[in-house]
Amino acid sequence: MSIEHARIDRRGLLKMLGALGATATAAGCNVSLGGDVSAQSLSGSKFDKTVALASEGPGGNPQWKAGDSLKFLPPQEIPTRGKAADLVGALPKEKLLGMYEKLNASRRWETVMKDLFLGGKDGLYGYFHSYCGEEAVAVGTIAALAEDDYIASTHRGHGHLIAKGGDLNKMSAEIFFRQAGYNQGYGGSMHIVDMAKGIMGSNGIVGASFYMAAGAAIHGKVRGTKQVGVAFFGDGASASPYYFSAARSCTNYKLPVLFVLENNFQWTGVPMALTVPTKYVSDYTKGLGIPHHTIDGNDVTAVYAAAKEAVEWARAGNGPSVIEAMTFRWYDHSGFSGGKVSQDGAMGLPYRTDDEVKQWISRDPIGRFRGWLLAKGLAQEAELVKIEKDTQAAVDASIEFARNSPEPDPERGVWNAHASGPVPATQFFNRKGLATSTPKTT
Amino acid sequence: MPKKPYGYAQLEAVRDEMRQNPDMVYFYQNQIPTATLPTGEVIDLVKEFGPVRTSGRGWAIDETWIAGAAIGAATAGSKAVARLPMMTPIYAIEYVQNQAGKIRSMTGGQASMPFVLWQDGASRSRGSAAQHTDVGMESIYAQLPGIKVVAPSNAYDAKGLLIAAIRDPDPVVYLDYGDVKSGEQPDVPDEAYEVPLGKAEVRQKGTDLTIVAWAPASVDVKRALPDIAKKGISVEYIDPRTLKPLDVDTLVASVKKTKRLLVVEHGHYTCGFGSHVIAEVVQAVPNVRARKLSFPDVPGPASGVMMAWLRPDAPKIIDAAIQMMHG
Repeated sequence: MSIEHARIDRRGLLKMLGALGATATAAGCNVSLGGDVSAQSLSGSKFDKTVALASEGPGGNPQWKAGDSLKFLPPQEIPTRGKAADLVGALPKEKLLGMYEKLNASRRWETVMKDLFLGGKDGLYGYFHSYCGEEAVAVGTIAALAEDDYIASTHRGHGHLIAKGGDLNKMSAEIFFRQAGYNQGYGGSMHIVDMAKGIMGSNGIVGASFYMAAGAAIHGKVRGTKQVGVAFFGDGASASPYYFSAARSCTNYKLPVLFVLENNFQWTGVPMALTVPTKYVSDYTKGLGIPHHTIDGNDVTAVYAAAKEAVEWARAGNGPSVIEAMTFRWYDHSGFSGGKVSQDGAMGLPYRTDDEVKQWISRDPIGRFRGWLLAKGLAQEAELVKIEKDTQAAVDASIEFARNSPEPDPERGVWNAHASGPVPATQFFNRKGLATSTPKTT
Repeated sequence: MPKKPYGYAQLEAVRDEMRQNPDMVYFYQNQIPTATLPTGEVIDLVKEFGPVRTSGRGWAIDETWIAGAAIGAATAGSKAVARLPMMTPIYAIEYVQNQAGKIRSMTGGQASMPFVLWQDGASRSRGSAAQHTDVGMESIYAQLPGIKVVAPSNAYDAKGLLIAAIRDPDPVVYLDYGDVKSGEQPDVPDEAYEVPLGKAEVRQKGTDLTIVAWAPASVDVKRALPDIAKKGISVEYIDPRTLKPLDVDTLVASVKKTKRLLVVEHGHYTCGFGSHVIAEVVQAVPNVRARKLSFPDVPGPASGVMMAWLRPDAPKIIDAAIQMMHG
């Protein structure tokens, strides 16, 4: 029944620019946001609205099924009119091209890594949580921030780092666990970070980003700045008690925080169908009366517009907002099972349908933004091609940089637990410092 | 040097460091940070520093938030203290373990973590029952990499260790046990001073037997010492003060002399921190006679007679000292 309802006429909807969606609201905050806060009206696109709230029974919302992410499949093209289009269209060209460059860098860097992991010649090992398909969320959100604002990233954090200005050479070297990597080989893919850029870690604990963003917001507040903290998180992290704790307290203490939910419909290997009792994940926190923006996460203009509004709301002292960006990850939770060299997307995974993957790939956020820039006359084809070529060259060079970087000294293994220096090497019979556990500085 | 209530000495440490560090924060649930001297002088952190840097009238009963927000603020660059109530030290542990203790290492040294977890400690008191009498959380925190652990036993150390912990760029768990707050206290200077992390204190010199105890068990040891002396046993009593990093050098030097080591703790027997004290010493000193007294591996009962029997108190310590000499 719900499948039929999902087949809505998206072309027709495209014409309904400015139409309000039913779900994206500034619910109950008693502040007029001009009726335009609906992020669906920001983007002009619209989601199917026929999935009812959970009624009863085990296994989440009885009306959800694997493959139901297609109910949220955005239109082929990003609308060229409407609030988000006007807002982003008015940005300086340099900024727009910068966003396009970041989108490309993230996709191309991860795609090269995917091919290297699958190709196997470099002997890469460890986790790799690909962000492919979700890049518009990072780039759109971070484009709406000031340079000194904070973000707290996740295990799927490469795109956040790149959008914040991460260095591809240091990133690649970290994937290779080299001394020249961002984390000198201590972190790897899941923890790559440049803290000097206001990134509060990319985190291997699902749900850890909330307190980091809140703490950063407090750090700004005690110094009298208007800095905001952004917590990126996935739909899986919405089940974390930290989410409810942080959303509640950030609202109560009016902390300038953005909760940016990258809803990719997949909780590691469990479809959202089995885990979410409501229609939208963001429904959980609507009782707090803070603004909620439910948006097309594959539309960088919609993400930017929602983030911009949430940032202004936060800087004005009103507290947090929730942005739920509907998007889709192309690959498996971690690694590249079901993926192939030179092929986009992982197929045959048990918790989603191949049709779902292919349809989301056809709504590639980068291709849509490219088409939008050209359709709006904001960039020329040749300019975009140059960015694509330059980005690819920078990615390829970063791989060479990583290959040519030395491995860390193994004895660095006892360093960096404490600021004061190494701890004793207790794995040896004759260890330095047998009679003392006091870290020695050298 | 004036006599000060224990709690006043502690808040004096926090107040002075907050004055030195304009972006430092101090969070708590309901332990409103005020203290008064007998002379009438008052410390009121909320009044002096405002509700943003403190928790105002107190924060939600949400220990993970209190610890997590402080760890987040510390990651961003604020010195941060989070004070948690005594019955729920485990709530904070995931975030302390996976964030506070690991971020410096995971980031290859990019991050600093000037965070103090001020953990109120319960005591082996009668009438409180199992959930409000757990002691010995220091061994759980000491097991976490990247975390330092201190447990002061008097007002002087309470202030000096707190200042040292706040100034340290690494996360420190500061165990605040109520048992040690009453009774005779040393003088506490008005000015800020550090009791250095990782330095034990030899509280009594002796030649026959080394006794090691910290925080709550130090109360029982102090009660036992005069009677042990009357038995003609010369005890060297050491309070480690910092459990991690442990001042093994001081312990080893003492036991090399006495060849006898008695550790007393209020934590549970299995994997209580005293076991680690013994392990460190016997690895470095041959032919040591070592023994540990601890609270047994049971949740603390409410009954006063049961609790008194379970406690490794002064009569049991005296008995142990005598047997250590004749075994």
